[in-house]
Amino acid sequence: MNKKQSHHGPQNEHGTVQSYVIGFVLSLICTFIPYYLVVEKIVTGNTLLATIVVFGFVQMLIQIVFFLHLGRGPKPNWNLFFFGSTFTIVLAVVGGSIFIIHNLNYHMTPSDKIKKLLNDENIQQIGGADTGVCGQTYESHIVTIKDGIVEPLQTEAKRCDTLTFVNEDEVEREITFGEHEDHEAYAGEIELPVTRGRNKTITLSEEGLYRFHDHLDPDISGYFTVQSK
Amino acid sequence: MKELLIGKLTWESLPHQWWTIAGSLSFIFLGLIVAGILTYTKRWKWLWNEWLTSVDPKKIGIMYFIAGGGMLLRGGLDAVMLWLQQALSSGDSHGYLNAQHFQEIFTAHGNIMVFFVAMAFIFGLINYIVPLQIGARDLASPLMNTLGFWLFVGGIVMVNMFFFFGGEYAATGWLAVQPLAGAEFSPGAGVDYWVWSLMISGIGTTLGAINFIMTILKMRAPGMTLMKMPLFTWGSLYSMVMALTIFPLLSMTLFLVYFDRALGTHFFTTMGGGDPMLYTNLIWMWGHPEVYVLVIPAYGLFSEVVSTFSRKPIASYTSAVVGMFGVASLALSVWLHHFFTMGAGANVNAFFGVMTTFVAIPTAVLVFNWIATMYGGRIRFETPMLWFLGFGFVFALGGISGVMLAVPPVDFQLHNSLFLVAHFHSTVIGGVLFGIFCAISYWWPKFTGFRLNERLGRYAFWAWIIGFNLSFIPMYILGFMGASRRLDHYDAETGWQPLFILMFIGGLVIMLGVALQLAQIIASFIEKKRLRTNNDPWDGRSLEWAAASPPSFYNFTTIPHAATRDAYWAIKKSHNRKTQYEDIHMPKSTGVGIYISLFATLASFAFVWHIIWLIVVSILGIIVTFIVRAFDENTEYTIPAAKVKKMEEARAKKEKAGPAIENNDYDEDMGLWELIKVILGFILGLLRNRGWRRWRA
Amino acid sequence: MSHERLEHHEAEATDRAMFGFWLYLMTDLLMFAILFGVYAVLHGNAIGGEEGRHLFSLPLALTETLLLLTSSFTCGLGMIAARLGKKKQVLTWFGVTFVLGLAFLLLEIDEFVKLIDEGQTPQLNAFMSSFFTLLGTHGLHITIGLLWIAATLGYIMKRGLNHHMVRKLAMLSLFWHFLDIVWIFIFTIVYMGAFV
Repeated sequence: MNKKQSHHGPQNEHGTVQSYVIGFVLSLICTFIPYYLVVEKIVTGNTLLATIVVFGFVQMLIQIVFFLHLGRGPKPNWNLFFFGSTFTIVLAVVGGSIFIIHNLNYHMTPSDKIKKLLNDENIQQIGGADTGVCGQTYESHIVTIKDGIVEPLQTEAKRCDTLTFVNEDEVEREITFGEHEDHEAYAGEIELPVTRGRNKTITLSEEGLYRFHDHLDPDISGYFTVQSK
Repeated sequence: MKELLIGKLTWESLPHQWWTIAGSLSFIFLGLIVAGILTYTKRWKWLWNEWLTSVDPKKIGIMYFIAGGGMLLRGGLDAVMLWLQQALSSGDSHGYLNAQHFQEIFTAHGNIMVFFVAMAFIFGLINYIVPLQIGARDLASPLMNTLGFWLFVGGIVMVNMFFFFGGEYAATGWLAVQPLAGAEFSPGAGVDYWVWSLMISGIGTTLGAINFIMTILKMRAPGMTLMKMPLFTWGSLYSMVMALTIFPLLSMTLFLVYFDRALGTHFFTTMGGGDPMLYTNLIWMWGHPEVYVLVIPAYGLFSEVVSTFSRKPIASYTSAVVGMFGVASLALSVWLHHFFTMGAGANVNAFFGVMTTFVAIPTAVLVFNWIATMYGGRIRFETPMLWFLGFGFVFALGGISGVMLAVPPVDFQLHNSLFLVAHFHSTVIGGVLFGIFCAISYWWPKFTGFRLNERLGRYAFWAWIIGFNLSFIPMYILGFMGASRRLDHYDAETGWQPLFILMFIGGLVIMLGVALQLAQIIASFIEKKRLRTNNDPWDGRSLEWAAASPPSFYNFTTIPHAATRDAYWAIKKSHNRKTQYEDIHMPKSTGVGIYISLFATLASFAFVWHIIWLIVVSILGIIVTFIVRAFDENTEYTIPAAKVKKMEEARAKKEKAGPAIENNDYDEDMGLWELIKVILGFILGLLRNRGWRRWRA
Repeated sequence: MSHERLEHHEAEATDRAMFGFWLYLMTDLLMFAILFGVYAVLHGNAIGGEEGRHLFSLPLALTETLLLLTSSFTCGLGMIAARLGKKKQVLTWFGVTFVLGLAFLLLEIDEFVKLIDEGQTPQLNAFMSSFFTLLGTHGLHITIGLLWIAATLGYIMKRGLNHHMVRKLAMLSLFWHFLDIVWIFIFTIVYMGAFV
């Protein structure tokens, strides 16, 4: 675009058919790549999340350049300045909220989350008081779900044993504790997604009789009892 | 059926407590008096054409002052009621207010003072002064300006509406603490009034901010680069950019609060996964920068007053500009210091604590600028300068206590104590309110063409300073002694009562100051012929002094050329002032602002009381008005150069015909006794049915 | 006043109006920032209800994305036609934009209705509240955009394509592109994010 015309008219700040077509095609690419990654689960977890967010930002930049033509007007370019500063504030608002509330939840959470945290971090004592976390584990127990049947239906274990859920079926299962709809947490665990080939193991740090079931198919359920050592 | 027609309104919503009956009756009474005067003097049409539908930023500025002044009295009355309750309510005595009513007054006092007093005056000043300072004839979007003003008025209507319907205001603190302000714990209409009065005035503020940014960045006089702008304009620009950034955050947060209350969603509730602390986080993202929106223009105007009254250019202009930028940008990153005690970890608290103490650095830069400007200058101690010095003292107090509160371990001791209340009153009264008083006494000659009465201005200043210290120093002490804020009753063993009584006495002295200010304005109007001045009474430096006093509606006959930083100073020195007349484009008056605001206020009322049909009708009204206006292509008119010449010559003739301008004769200014004598004489004359004619003659 | 100066005055007014509209868009962006922030904090709190991946359909979201992206593209083409003063092309391209936008809106409403039928109402939990508010606000903007397109096209048919109308269209197209950009993040964070 030539800058000479820019004196008063806004003529040169606007796109051509060509720039719109380029923008459109690039945007399509930036839509389909992350979509494919998500559907096919080529990468997972935080890597995937980061990748798709990056693609979102790239697409935003593409549309800003090719559709909104930002940064092409006469100088000083106040539009660009205000977009930049607003975007900084947006990042501060979203990032700041996540940072603050996440930190808050980390420090002041419902007891379930605290239990899970203690288990995950293997914190056995706080200020000299026992937290109920097992320092070491003993026997391993396995519950297998195959063709919708739980085997064994009831597991007898001692405190600080481990219990592993194995799913042999193709469908995904979410192991939760308590009665269906009124879930309880066990040792801070609320929900354990178990798929074929991906087992989940918990440490039996709380004593008593517990019921577990598949949240997605509540008929599939079983029991386990934990006795003191 | 009834629900369809009037929503949640019932007979019980009508006034039935003593304060709602008194409040609504006094509003009706005031309205009748104003209507009576307008009818008697046949001024209804004049009011509508010359003022209400005007798009002239100077007239809108004056209307902001009138609205803000009225609200200052209303909020001040609240303050006195609070002080009196606290002075009485110790031990067995429970004062004259019940706890709920006390909390409602508390909330209303905070909202009114921040939204409808401080914001009103700051917007009024920016409206009046900024176009003159940058040498513009008008604002970028005159329509948006009147719309913003009328939405602000809608906010005032909504904040007072509870006197007539509902009978309760939010009792939740000025920022509606969640989950207390949720439907579960505050089921009445009070919080809804809070939401909607802030909502519509906040939207008005956003529109105003957009408008002033456009105006300052795109409509400066030729030659005036950014670094030649007067500092008040700089302060206004920063303030408006901040307002643009934070008011959308407020609006959206208010929507979420309303959704929680009206639709039963779970954003900030205790049930259903909502997070009350998320609300605290969001509202302070707006709330903290908001006080800087108010105080940064004040920094700018103090810079100008100091430089004018020291007869020197401001020392280190660039560092003042950078200093204000520093304050503005840091202010956006410190919001968590309002809730250190929420329970976040040490790393979060440390980050925000350090950022907060940083704010002191650019502020100190500004203070040193002012000191350096005064150093070696020939200072004139007239009222604007007195207000500046008062600001210096009170604001330093607030600043130092602020740095103390910025340290998280100290804050854990002082959080929500009266120490905190004293701190922010020192900054807001010292910084913003004194700034406003300073600005009004400084620019009053520009607004009206005559000076303010200097003697009564001094009395008012001293009453304010003494009253302020008498009421807020005990408050600091009480904070250290453990008195918490929003306290409607305390035990006698605490021994706090003498200090609370001292605070009440201080409050009365402040009220005396306000009364003296009113007397000052009345006395100046009575003496206006003697106090008449030319366009430049203070020997000013920036362009607003180049325009006539009061300026013509098109501000400047010829748009001045701003060659240097103190543009008018340079023009005065050059003695080269030849007038060339040219065609002037001006926007037409329009009632669209009033219509849209009327619909918005109706919609807010309907939202408060869940009157569905009224919501639909008023929103349709807004949309239709908006579309009709948006496609109106004929919104401007041109004044031919010949007509401009005629008007200017007529004005010059009138000025010559008037009495000679006397300046610097302040000892002659009317004192309090003379004023009382004049007023008594006027009333006696009125009784003999001669006063009115004499007054007009 | 000479014709040339009048034209200069008009050009300056247009420049200011476009800048002001841009500032308005920035405030809108900040409103969406609050909604995204709230969604990011609250989306895990699906108490008593399903999580996102059991509720959302990726193909549907992709369809909506493509509709909106294409409408943004046709809106741009309409703008080029407007600058060249081709009235008929303007009506066609903005007409296409209107239809695509309407299709998007209908799909979104259909999704909302289905969710509510399943008992996944905004009142259920914080996740649903933030989901409905974020998408509802975007949908409301789309609705306003559609009304705006309709009104502008109506006036263009009546009064022809003068420079006032080109200014209105320029603002409209900024608004529409902006909504597409907001949608990119809704698609990425709300829909695809639920399946990560």
